[in-house]
Amino acid sequence: MADLDFFIGDEALSRLRSSGLYTLRSPIHNGQVDDWDTMERFWQQCIFNYLRCNPEEHYFLLTDSPVSTPESRECTGEIMFETFNVPGLYISVQSVLSLSAGYAYLKSISDENSDPSSDMTGVVVDIGDGASHIVPVVNGYVIGSSIKSFPLSGSDVTQFVSQLLQERGELVPPEDSLDISRKVKEMYCYTCSDIVKEFKKHDKKPDKYIKHWSAIKPKTGVPYTIDIGYERFLGPEIFFKPEIYSADFATPLPQLIDRCVQSAPIDTRRALYKNIVLSGGSTMFKDFHKRLQSDIKKIVDERVAATNAEHHVEVRPIEVNVVAHPIQSYAVWFGGSVAASNPEFYEYCHTKEEYEEHGASICRTSPVFKGMY
Amino acid sequence: MILLQSPSRFLLQILQDRVLSGEKGMDIDCHTVEFDDVRYHIQFSMRNPKVMVLSVALPLPPPEAILYDGLPLGAIEAIKAAYGPVVQILDPPKDGFDLTMKINLTKLPPDEEQRNAILTQIASVREVVLGAPLKVLLKHLASKTVAPNVDKLVALVHRPNESFFLAPQADKVTIVYPMRFQDSIDIVLATSFLQEFVEARRTAALNNVPSCMWSPAPPLELKGVPADALNANAGFVTFVVYPRHVEGKKLDRTVWNLLTFHAYVSYHVKCSEGFMHTRMRRRVESLIQALDRAKSDAEKLKKLVHGASFNRLSLKNEGN
Repeated sequence: MADLDFFIGDEALSRLRSSGLYTLRSPIHNGQVDDWDTMERFWQQCIFNYLRCNPEEHYFLLTDSPVSTPESRECTGEIMFETFNVPGLYISVQSVLSLSAGYAYLKSISDENSDPSSDMTGVVVDIGDGASHIVPVVNGYVIGSSIKSFPLSGSDVTQFVSQLLQERGELVPPEDSLDISRKVKEMYCYTCSDIVKEFKKHDKKPDKYIKHWSAIKPKTGVPYTIDIGYERFLGPEIFFKPEIYSADFATPLPQLIDRCVQSAPIDTRRALYKNIVLSGGSTMFKDFHKRLQSDIKKIVDERVAATNAEHHVEVRPIEVNVVAHPIQSYAVWFGGSVAASNPEFYEYCHTKEEYEEHGASICRTSPVFKGMY
Repeated sequence: MILLQSPSRFLLQILQDRVLSGEKGMDIDCHTVEFDDVRYHIQFSMRNPKVMVLSVALPLPPPEAILYDGLPLGAIEAIKAAYGPVVQILDPPKDGFDLTMKINLTKLPPDEEQRNAILTQIASVREVVLGAPLKVLLKHLASKTVAPNVDKLVALVHRPNESFFLAPQADKVTIVYPMRFQDSIDIVLATSFLQEFVEARRTAALNNVPSCMWSPAPPLELKGVPADALNANAGFVTFVVYPRHVEGKKLDRTVWNLLTFHAYVSYHVKCSEGFMHTRMRRRVESLIQALDRAKSDAEKLKKLVHGASFNRLSLKNEGN
């Protein structure tokens, strides 16, 4: 029965801390599943312990990363159909769901009678804990050839914050270092518009900007306090100046978004600039969207000015719009829930009959990539 | 997790969030199902942020099971005993549901431990309602009597249109489950799982547990039961429960385990399928390795143009 003695989620982390009997495994690395045994057990626990449902009687909607391989989708389908006997399965692309979540949210606040399905166009900037992607979507279809990946993600921010704390000599207990940095990141980090000004602000009024974090050392029970200063704005800064964190990669996120749009078909670019949607937990830093918008705007305006000067023409200015909404950290989940409550959802699903007729290869293609792969 | 836990995490989470959130009011209106037989409907309104209306729909009863006003025997009493003043039963229940309760969160005990205990109880409403008749019968067993005005064979609903059977006697209660599964592979796995289950009972360490039997044909206790209640495709499981199994605190656990026996078997069938897939993946991996070793050196050194060697696709299994 040893193979049933395991926990998932928050429960797993608390068990790990309280007893030495367990080891920690993460089936997903950088947004890709690489340990299918653990993943299968994770789903097993999800379905029976948390959702408490009978998988035979429900259609399932799963999401995966826009750059996941067809093989991994096939493997997912195999597990869902063979182990759990689901009647139908739809593997969706996360970015499309976050885009539709953004539309659903805008619609709910404005009450406009615009047709959302005709207008599913935008760039999704999805920064999660393990992977970041920039995905252009036109009328609900992903432009597969223009997807860009950004090598830094939420876990890198955490890593960077903990590195900064250590280098300054804050006495953080080493075993909790990453955990504390993660909490610091979630509670105190924000995006600034100019680093130099921000440094000056901190130096002038340290008591206004420096926060404190108090906790108790888990092993000895001694209370301690650490100061949180420059980390607050330097953490998220790695998206705009990656060279301060890693030497391998120096293209800032706004520039990568611009490149992504530039590589999309020419007739879609204006619409894409107009709707840049954020998604994922690591886009939740305060004022992240404002900084992103102003940086992209700067790049675009420079290019327009250069064109005007070179060809002596007057190009219509390009509208750049970064959309932020309060549900963006759960945008994919929200979009999934919108998609699944749509009555047409069942038509898109791969059914068990299809699986038995054609095999796992039916999961290779997804309707949103139609004609692309 | 070997046994299923009785409180529904979904309900518990909503209740705890609501108790901790203070005065903030928010409309909540959601439906959820549990093991596809019990349906919940949870409502909070803006005006009364501390009152939750919880409606429960029970599985559709088969003809042989007897219900009183749509609820199993003794359910109302069980609810009153378990929740006390916190819960008020609304009559008649909402359309499409069998039971509607009004839960007043202001009446919870102030002590945190007691409060959590009662919230967990509310989240286990399934056990309280569906388990009520089972509890009544087993309580009588604990005191070695037979409940008055109870038939020789009682049918209790546990899944839509499916029931299990109890034959209460003064010194023991015999419980029979007809096991049904849909998928052909599930049937085979469940059958062998149940045979193993019975086999495992015979080990010396488990001498004191209820005895259990499995048979492909209906056991003698089920004489006189209509035939369509007996078309089980994975055989029949029989447990014999003695008074020592229902003493004191053991009663609640016994009730819950008996009540969710079907979900338990189906969970373990899925677990064994998962386990077999793990084994299959490992086998494929080792065969691929053997094939790789058999290759000649020249074949192995297929390089790409810019010098990097090409990694053949394989099922990667890190951490094993």
